[in-house]
Amino acid sequence: MAQAPKEYSIVGKQTPRIDAYERVTGQAQYTGDLQLPGMLYARVLRSNVPHAKIISIDTSKAEKLPGVKAVIHHENAKVPWSSGGHTHRRYIFNNPVRYVGDPVAAVAATDRHIAEDALKLIDVKYEKIPHVLDANEALKPDAPKIAPNGNLSVGKGAFSAPIEESWGDIEQGFKDADRVFEDTYITKHVNNAQLERRVSIAKWDAGKLTVYASTQGVSNARTDIAKDFALPLSKVRVVCKYMGGGFGNKNQAQDYDYMAAMLAKVAAQPVKLEFTREDDYIGMHGRWASEQHYKVGVKNDGTITAVSLDAVTNMGAYRKQSGNLSGTDFYNIPNFKKVIKPVHTNTVVAANYRAPAYPQSVFGFASFLDQVAFELGVNPLDMFMRNRAQKSKGKLPFTSNYLEQCILEGSKRIGFSEKWHKPGATAGPVKHGIGMALGGYPFRPGLGAATIRVNPDGTAHVLVGVTDIGTGAKSTMAIIASEALGIPLNQIQLTNGDTDVTPYSVGESGSRTTAFTGPAVVAAAEDVRKQIFALASAPMKSKPEELDLRDGQVFRKADSAQRIALGQIVKDSGDLIGRATTNPNFPKEMDGKCFSAHFAEVEVDTWTGHVRITRYVAAHDSGAILNRLTAESQIKGGVVQGIGMAFSEELLIDKVTAIPINPNYRDAKVPTHLETPEVEVIFVEHYDPYGVFGGKVVGEPPITAAVATIANAIFNATGKRFKELPITPDKIVRAVQV
Amino acid sequence: MEDEKKGTRLSRRSFLKGIGGGAIGTAVISTGLVKSDSAEGYSPETSGAGGNRATITLKVNGKAYRVEVEHRSTLAEVLRDELGLTGTKIGCDRGECGACTVIINGHNMYACSQLAVWMQGKDILTVEGLAKGDKLDPLQEAFIEHDGPQCGFCTSGQIMSGKALLMKNPKPDEAQARRGLSGNLCRCGNYNREVAAVLAAAAKSS
Ligand code: FES
Ligand code: FES
Repeated sequence: MAQAPKEYSIVGKQTPRIDAYERVTGQAQYTGDLQLPGMLYARVLRSNVPHAKIISIDTSKAEKLPGVKAVIHHENAKVPWSSGGHTHRRYIFNNPVRYVGDPVAAVAATDRHIAEDALKLIDVKYEKIPHVLDANEALKPDAPKIAPNGNLSVGKGAFSAPIEESWGDIEQGFKDADRVFEDTYITKHVNNAQLERRVSIAKWDAGKLTVYASTQGVSNARTDIAKDFALPLSKVRVVCKYMGGGFGNKNQAQDYDYMAAMLAKVAAQPVKLEFTREDDYIGMHGRWASEQHYKVGVKNDGTITAVSLDAVTNMGAYRKQSGNLSGTDFYNIPNFKKVIKPVHTNTVVAANYRAPAYPQSVFGFASFLDQVAFELGVNPLDMFMRNRAQKSKGKLPFTSNYLEQCILEGSKRIGFSEKWHKPGATAGPVKHGIGMALGGYPFRPGLGAATIRVNPDGTAHVLVGVTDIGTGAKSTMAIIASEALGIPLNQIQLTNGDTDVTPYSVGESGSRTTAFTGPAVVAAAEDVRKQIFALASAPMKSKPEELDLRDGQVFRKADSAQRIALGQIVKDSGDLIGRATTNPNFPKEMDGKCFSAHFAEVEVDTWTGHVRITRYVAAHDSGAILNRLTAESQIKGGVVQGIGMAFSEELLIDKVTAIPINPNYRDAKVPTHLETPEVEVIFVEHYDPYGVFGGKVVGEPPITAAVATIANAIFNATGKRFKELPITPDKIVRAVQV
Repeated sequence: MEDEKKGTRLSRRSFLKGIGGGAIGTAVISTGLVKSDSAEGYSPETSGAGGNRATITLKVNGKAYRVEVEHRSTLAEVLRDELGLTGTKIGCDRGECGACTVIINGHNMYACSQLAVWMQGKDILTVEGLAKGDKLDPLQEAFIEHDGPQCGFCTSGQIMSGKALLMKNPKPDEAQARRGLSGNLCRCGNYNREVAAVLAAAAKSS
């Protein structure tokens, strides 16, 4: 097993966030908290029909309302939104409109209530076009066409369709099997539903556009805006200091950023555009729904010989992201084939939500494996252990893989072997169940940049482009800097999230911040340390390479008693500046992944259909952990989102009107304090040779296995297999009563 | 309804019209202890010029503020936009999430579901009023130690509900703590941490 090369001063400890004080005192300024002089407020009008041509839009009454300063729509603001759709051109306002919620107009006024009033005065005449809501229906030849090329969502490169992948010999794999099973699993559209509603503030100064965004990535937001507004990058500034959650749907720049910018241009005043909670549910994307058809070949002992997956994923009216399903990643599958069709329908757009391609497909595949184990008479623990991934795609080695330890430690902690019983075996109406599933997420390094200034008093200032969507990324970057520099954390200041000030960062999505920007922070620290040692060499009568720096003290490696405080060394040298742009990669023929094994115990009340999670254990291989405190919070939070997806969340769309009927917290039923069990977190901690200080990824993995884990526990309790999410009390009551 | 013809969104005005009428619902999520009672203290005569504005005195964190507000402005809006107290967040603006929780006369309440004009003569405490100078409230300290905020957007609300609970019940058990916070959603799912922080603060104050 790989070991960390040395003892760390701060990496691996429990460290409170560097900005925790601001966050608990109300001083943290989120985008919506900012007020600019002369700022207007804006609201968005959305289509109330699922598919229609706009025949006319009359804004004259709205414009006459005192206080209204700008009204924009598809005729006077034809701005493309490149990252909003990858199969057909998407604009910030589209004609035809393609789903209930497609933006039709936006209004800026001196006050948000006036903007709201003005929306009601806009008269839109639609000519309806037939619509289709169901993904399978949409693929039929006579279905209403949503994209010019039809409803199979065919774009370029990563957005091609169908998504196909295979290895081995699938036919032979099924021939080698003792038994072959087939079944279909269904998941629904759920919303990211982060607590901060979307908001964007835009202002123009002498041709330069500044957007205070609520974005997961200031750099890619700037690139998007510059491209779509045909501005040089130097004329666009994007700032995001504090961010109230995103979970994948605030990547890049979004249509509301563009609307704010256009309104600000027309009104020649700064504009704050705010979404309502309903806007947030229907105007932004959620997780793609899926119908997954599996065929699995197994030996009698449970060993998988072949898996095929045919699926459709419902991407809504525009294709923003892949629509892939990757829940088979955590298993050893010698022969594999998948064909996934991302499909357009006249519904709310689906794209990235925490571990985009995973929890829905882990639900499908891990539920099905659990079922196959049952049919074979194999214990699920044995089934998952036997088939766990040992190589990537059946052949490539992983940079590190401790999935086996996750299964062993997690199952031991919960007492799986002792507590598992025949499905439905508990006597009485309240039935005990226990279940498990495997999950994880890809880990790979990439492009990052960082600047570190060492001030004349020996304190340091780290500049990184990262945002912090709640993961603690700012703190992690400061911890990495502290460790790499040898300067205590409390002497490090960090500036983040401002494209005019901070260097490139990939954006906080795909759990990439630590792996991409982390190496740049380390390299920038090394750069500035070299400068420090060159300066220290004379007073310390040593060669630079004989020196080291720790706890803010420069010392001789050979004799650490010979030391001088860093502040003494650098006091007359102005600022020392370390900088780095790094782009590390794995050796060829190697793959990176973090892994998890989750376990849950439930009590199912078969009279009410109510499920209580009585115990939850999440065991993770995320490599070495840089900050245990925030990392554990990430795991706990991911599980809670999985609980919502398993039990209650689903965006319901009325079949007749195509109107989403529960676009709010109460009716979409996100989990509350009351449903949340204590989530016990185990880190199976091993140093990954390619991670920063041995770390892999943390943010996205925890949601991946949670849904399937709960579903499998419900099966063990009731003996009934639930093949469609969410597993609501009515479904449970109906199933157990037949 | 008129709004439905124009779009699927609901404006604040229609929301407020819905209060009491049940048209849209003023639901307090789950069974949280957050109250959304009464229009007491509201007098229509406060109508100023234009018929829909009033000048009121708001007592917030021990300070009195004289502000002119629209009748339809909520306490949350006035705190944020007029008084610059942006620690109080708005997550839903319809009484579902608790991001806007403040303490009014000792009770935790949703500031998005209270009209500012109803607040005459009431004692309002927001997250900005918890610390005594540089000294944080023990609950704030516990939130730091126990990693209470992930994204932090719900944090002020969680803290204010926690504070209201501790004011009434200085030694809650875990079930009581959860119940006390149950009107406050955390989409980051940091519930374990928030409850742990409340219990830790309770344990410290002996
Ligand atoms: S903003 Fe008041 S309850 Fe959500
Ligand atoms: S910390 Fe993000 S919503 Fe609670």
